Amino acid sequence: MTEEQIKQQIEHQFGYLKDAVVIKRARRLWLDVPMDKFEEVFVYLTEAMPLVRLLTITGMDEGTTFGIIYHLAAESGIILNLRIHIPRENPAIQSMTSKFSCADIYEREIKDLLGIQVLGLPEGRRYPLTDNWPDGEYPLRKDWKGLSTEKKGGTLNAQ
Amino acid sequence: MSILKKIIRWARIKSPWIIHFNTGACNACDIEIVAALTPRYDLERFGVIIKGTPRHADVLVCSGPVTLQTQDRLLRIYEQMPEPKFVVAVGTCACSGGVFQGCYSVRAGIDSILPVSVFIPGCPASPKAIIDGVVKLLDSLEDKPKKEMAPVLPKKELAQGNAT
Amino acid sequence: MPNKIRKLPDSGDVQVPIGPQHPSLKEPESFLLTLRGEKITAASVRLGYNHRGIEKACEERTYIQDLYLIERVCGICSHAHLTCFVQAVEEIAAIEVPKRAQYIRVVVGELERIHSHLLWLGVAGHEIGFDTLLMYSWRDREIVMDILADLAGNRVHYGVTTYGGVKRDITPEQIKDVLKAVDTLEERTKYYIELAKNEETIIKRLSGVGMLKHDDALRLGAVGPTARAGGVDRDTRRDDPYAAYPEMKFKVVIDDHADVYGRTLVRMGELMEAYSIIRQALTNMPEGVFRVRAPRRIPAGEATGRYEAPRGEDVHYVKSNGSDKPERVKIRAPTLANIQAVTHMLEDRYLADMPIVVAAIDPCFSCTDRLIGIKDLRTDKKQTLDWDNLRLSGIKWYQKRGVDFSRLNEKLKRSFK
Repeated sequence: MTEEQIKQQIEHQFGYLKDAVVIKRARRLWLDVPMDKFEEVFVYLTEAMPLVRLLTITGMDEGTTFGIIYHLAAESGIILNLRIHIPRENPAIQSMTSKFSCADIYEREIKDLLGIQVLGLPEGRRYPLTDNWPDGEYPLRKDWKGLSTEKKGGTLNAQ
Repeated sequence: MSILKKIIRWARIKSPWIIHFNTGACNACDIEIVAALTPRYDLERFGVIIKGTPRHADVLVCSGPVTLQTQDRLLRIYEQMPEPKFVVAVGTCACSGGVFQGCYSVRAGIDSILPVSVFIPGCPASPKAIIDGVVKLLDSLEDKPKKEMAPVLPKKELAQGNAT
Repeated sequence: MPNKIRKLPDSGDVQVPIGPQHPSLKEPESFLLTLRGEKITAASVRLGYNHRGIEKACEERTYIQDLYLIERVCGICSHAHLTCFVQAVEEIAAIEVPKRAQYIRVVVGELERIHSHLLWLGVAGHEIGFDTLLMYSWRDREIVMDILADLAGNRVHYGVTTYGGVKRDITPEQIKDVLKAVDTLEERTKYYIELAKNEETIIKRLSGVGMLKHDDALRLGAVGPTARAGGVDRDTRRDDPYAAYPEMKFKVVIDDHADVYGRTLVRMGELMEAYSIIRQALTNMPEGVFRVRAPRRIPAGEATGRYEAPRGEDVHYVKSNGSDKPERVKIRAPTLANIQAVTHMLEDRYLADMPIVVAAIDPCFSCTDRLIGIKDLRTDKKQTLDWDNLRLSGIKWYQKRGVDFSRLNEKLKRSFK
């Protein structure tokens, strides 16, 4: 399918997404969806459309909201970047590990570095921060200024 | 010095065994360390062998800025080495943090945690520099008189008190 | 009596932590393997040792400073990360890169692929105990390092790519040198391919190890030679072309062995393709400038870039906000996509296969953390020993036998800052 065909089909399927798909250049599509419609759009894109690969999940701090981008790719080389915005207070997203087992590590990264809760994430070790990283410190947030030197020391130095 | 001590020191100088640990580096320095052992540079002609366990090693060759995750492991490895032991910091990241100075997950160079004997700068340190560093370490163990460093400016200009 | 031998019942799995310092794995990473005898029944990997906070550091540095930082994400695929990042920024700023620069980027990218695959061949030989292969292939790799040092000024971290093109031009003498080196390397690679196809010990040691079949590779999201050895027909240079690849003729090497032997054959095939691509690029090198000016402030926008690094597909996402510092940089290295396949590959294999299975995905990062859980099978009492308790229990054990390490600790305390 070409980029134009993908755009037509998505906008045809979901009325509220009329003119929402942006084709920035060859093989790059961008789409913002409201948070409550994310699940159905995601399922449609990955099951009924050829966007069968999840490349990675990017989380970013946008000031009043957090933006989460799911980078989906087709075997033909087309990437569709699907973005949702979630509110800054009590941020939470649903885990996609039931559909893509590779989403596990990308969601752990978002949880550790941005402090966004991931509902339904299976049990496991955290990534990428240390086990003794202090709670409440989320490095990728824009208002985070760094750890103080005492907190940086290892357990042996504390003796 | 007694004969036994002389023999032991000779054995240490002629055949130092190293252990290599990567404290969170980008791997360029580690590859140059391994390349120093391959046929073109051949560190093994100095009697150097890479051992897998710190308990057999004399020299700890370390690369990388110390990340918060690896600092405890680094100390653990250092403690397991028998005395006397030396630490060689390979690469700019190991000397001072390099490109990653100021990152939240990085603690500056290795000398913030361990006493370092030799610093080998470079990004990455080329195998020639690594060999130079190891040879300097071995020379410092012998009681050789230190070679006088050649002055940068010719002696005449130094005597005149620096050209302009 | 301290030396009584305790007999444990037959059932009882042993958990062996491996890493972060391990003789065969050059990078720190830790695996927790559950063993029954020699067979691995479960494996879990703990990552994060190499986490240096690069994404946050990128936001605090200008675009020019980020060129040097992104290169040092990985020492083996530095050109891959740098070019992927620069391509994404050039897409945001709508910079038209001259053709000659695209060709030079391709030449350096393929040279990097050659040096990375020869490095892998040596490391794989070392993992299976074939040190001669390590020495031979790294000696050949020195030819590539010389060429790169000649073209770019440094053996590793070449820094050839910059915004708007490349940093330096390539002269006709350099082109001749590269072509001569490629001829030598092709002869030597043919010898390695003969070795891989006919040497019984290599075939037996690598076949059936680290199986990752086609469907599992798709499900677990594997990329690069790891996936191509299972028959997955996927290569970013052909599917999502960048730089000068649309004008290059090359084959995507696929194998169907689905094990480490298949990955070896795929990488050898990619070496031969790389020689062909370099020859095409150098003989058809277009005339013209090698760089255009790029603005210091990149206009607001965002882009996703992809690049086929030697290990697989590398994805960079960049968002800019009109200033001279990026707003957000996200890097998805190929090994992150492959590491989840490793735990699948390790299950139901033997402990001795563990280094080669991990080395076969050509890992480029590492991290580990360790916690030891002990369950006394007779009394069913569970105890968790973390680092400090383990250390203290070791000290107490020695003190009971009259050996005291407190003098050593004093010396260490004095040498700390």
